[in-house]
Amino acid sequence: MNNYPEVVAKIAHDYLERLKAQLQLVPVRERIEFLREIESHLYEAYQQTPGEDDVARILAVLRNLGEPAEVVSDRLPGTMVRSGTKRNVPLFVVGGILIALFGIPLGFGGLGVLVGILGALAGMLVAFYAVAGSVLLVGALFMLMGLTRVLAPNMFDKLVAAGFIQFDGPPAQFLDQFTPSEQGLFMILFASLLVAGGFGMLRLGKYLLRGLRFLFSLLFDKTRRLAQGLRRKLHPQNREAPGSQARQPADGQSAVV
Amino acid sequence: MEYQDEGRDRRITQLRKGILELAVMGVLYHERHYGYSLVRVLCERGSISLKEGTIYPILARLDRDGLVGSGWVESDQGPPRKYYTLTASGRQLFDELSRDFDSLVSLVQRKWNAPEQPEAVGKKLAVRKG
Repeated sequence: MNNYPEVVAKIAHDYLERLKAQLQLVPVRERIEFLREIESHLYEAYQQTPGEDDVARILAVLRNLGEPAEVVSDRLPGTMVRSGTKRNVPLFVVGGILIALFGIPLGFGGLGVLVGILGALAGMLVAFYAVAGSVLLVGALFMLMGLTRVLAPNMFDKLVAAGFIQFDGPPAQFLDQFTPSEQGLFMILFASLLVAGGFGMLRLGKYLLRGLRFLFSLLFDKTRRLAQGLRRKLHPQNREAPGSQARQPADGQSAVV
Repeated sequence: MEYQDEGRDRRITQLRKGILELAVMGVLYHERHYGYSLVRVLCERGSISLKEGTIYPILARLDRDGLVGSGWVESDQGPPRKYYTLTASGRQLFDELSRDFDSLVSLVQRKWNAPEQPEAVGKKLAVRKG
């Protein structure tokens, strides 16, 4: 469909991926539609941009289009208000409370505390995923044991005798009341519960990850704006630099939006 | 008085974005367009230069508010294009907004220190809330 040279396709794909990353909070359907539209724009603009050098052409197209953050900057607040309010309002509240508690009274020290809290939250998220992975692994092992107990009870007994499988305590006493097949079915049932729990944790983790990413983006966005403001103050002449990225009008009257 | 670059930039951006939305409606009033063709029209026929990506959030807002209708159309030359047209309510709103806009322009361009012109009397700007 898109007859780009390979290197151009890669650059365009990279841009769309960055755009996609910026649209994490936008509902999936809207996100897909938006990306499709930008993809169409890239193709049209690339075809209309003259030049011998393919890379220079696609880069010119991307410059004219704007950075992904700029392209979605207007889009996010509206979308969040419309469809993500319930999900994001608590995060805004948490962010506001943290800033009120630490940021305002302590200034930059508060910022440090905030970064520490975000780091701790990230650590907790990693631990959460580790637990989810462990639960899934244990579930898979129990499933294997259950299947072995049902399909090859003799092998199971050999594995127990060899010490590869150790079953002691109340669970073993409970299972001893049943036949090998029933024991296997109990194990499979238990394993299914563990696997379901593990997948449930992974699903929950996705939301936690999204929330944490939002908190990080708040912090980084603020920092970026602060840095931009400082840069503007230090190098005011850069703002009027020649070779503006925006498309210039035909009659020379400029009104950059 | 210290010159506030950031505040100035923010105000200019706000002003231009509002006007750009009206300009987009104006272009779509007469013919349907897809994003890229709309950008071309605004840049080549209009007197503005713009970051092309700015147009898409505007189109999305107009679409969300039912002021434009949109639909994907297959293209022989590449990926499908999403065409936009102004709906009846969009046309009605554009008529009202363009009248307000004309009043605002005359308000801004009016020479306040000059004696009042007879034709300007009675011409009022209706300011809506919200």
